[in-house]
Amino acid sequence: MNHLTFLILCLSAQIRPVPTADQQAAPPHDSLQGAVRVVDLRTRALEITTGVGMALRVVRLRIAAETRLTAAGAALPLAQFQRGDIVRASFGTRPGGFVAYTIERVGRMTTTKGGGGTP
Amino acid sequence: MIRLGLCALALSLTVAACRKPPQPGDPLAGLTAQERDRFVHGRVVFDSAFTPATGLGPLFNAVGCGECHEDPKAGGTGDEVERHATAFHPAATGRACDELAAKGGPVFQLHVTPLLHAALGIDSEPVPPEATAIARRTTPAIFGFGLLDAVPDSVILSYADPDDRDHDGISGRPNRFFDGRLGRFGRKALVPTLREFNEGALIAEMGVTSPAIPTEETVAGQPLPAGTDPAPDPELPREATDLLDAFVRLLAPPEQKLTREARQGREVFERTGCARCHVPALRTGDSPVPALRHREVAAYTDLLLHDMGPELADICLGLATPSEFRTEPLMGVRLRSKFLHDGRATTLEQAIDLHAGEGAAARDRFRGLAAGERAALIAFLKTL
Repeated sequence: MNHLTFLILCLSAQIRPVPTADQQAAPPHDSLQGAVRVVDLRTRALEITTGVGMALRVVRLRIAAETRLTAAGAALPLAQFQRGDIVRASFGTRPGGFVAYTIERVGRMTTTKGGGGTP
Repeated sequence: MIRLGLCALALSLTVAACRKPPQPGDPLAGLTAQERDRFVHGRVVFDSAFTPATGLGPLFNAVGCGECHEDPKAGGTGDEVERHATAFHPAATGRACDELAAKGGPVFQLHVTPLLHAALGIDSEPVPPEATAIARRTTPAIFGFGLLDAVPDSVILSYADPDDRDHDGISGRPNRFFDGRLGRFGRKALVPTLREFNEGALIAEMGVTSPAIPTEETVAGQPLPAGTDPAPDPELPREATDLLDAFVRLLAPPEQKLTREARQGREVFERTGCARCHVPALRTGDSPVPALRHREVAAYTDLLLHDMGPELADICLGLATPSEFRTEPLMGVRLRSKFLHDGRATTLEQAIDLHAGEGAAARDRFRGLAAGERAALIAFLKTL
């Protein structure tokens, strides 16, 4: 790449919008939607496969006592989650890793013919 | 008045005849000046070579997009072959595929920077012993991919027949990303959008972080050793990522040049059943880019997964089993010298001959053609 172009692009990336009051007040949290890879009942955690393109990641979310686990609006025990469930999760960072605030089962990935990750 | 009209008609026909068809690497016709400008600037990002100081690695397959996508022009194919690995457990409860994402998969990079080599003593990312298959992957040409991105999901799903209800032996089905969205890019159609395909390639192929993926990959699941990644994240800023995406999105598909023999071959292509999966044309939907909006793209794919038989089988990915592959788009096939996902075929005849599973019937019909018809079909493919 032309060095001058690259420099301009890098500098432009440093200009960031000032956060609004709402953004500043928001609690630190993140969210994802992905497929359950592991249901760990012993340590009460879910491992979720997610990513961008072919760059895949596994996020491990600890399930706390206050974590809301649901499917179609109803409570769902951790033991009823399965590998291949598609879940939407919100979570925050705590010492020792991520802790889930909410996990909602929204669909399912299947390997059968006709399967397709629909809710 | 009539003479004036005839002159205007002759002039417009001359202009149309003189319009140079897009060459590989050219932008789509009909772009605005601003879109062309972004295309030109995006090519600079595409052609740039990264170094460890500007973001390369620590794990990487290539130093820039253009190192692999180079033949015959930026956006084309290349000689490089990379390595993907996954674990497939068909008897497992739930999903059978493990993409080994927790161990650095499914793309296991072939090169490391000097700093990572010094820290770990490795020359490439190790494939974990849990892998049940290692696949070779050639570089796809990406001409016309912006048009593929603009095809609505509903169009792709209209070709799906997962349970083969029409009993033609072909049961295309969609792949899905992990969040449930329909996939279409990649040899197993895992990736839903071109934007994600590009952003994922930055990190998976070059080890370059971007606003979408601001952290480096692990080394086989282990965090990077301290001091091995000197460039601050994101290593490619938003504007440069956007320009890169614009370049790829606005690349024109190769122009088809039909000869008389090729026209005959096109008819043979339909008659042998190749077109059942290699659907000749898909129609795009709405798009913020007028040149991509409501256009017919001669993609020769249905963007669905098909079982290609055990000989071609390698890794799983998402819903795709080891033997399932997305129908390879044939647009631009004339520009390639190696065929199939791993480049094992060096001629189009070999590639057809290696079709099995859902492609077996069409392959057998190809084998049964008279020599002249086979030649016409190949001549047709060489116009795409």
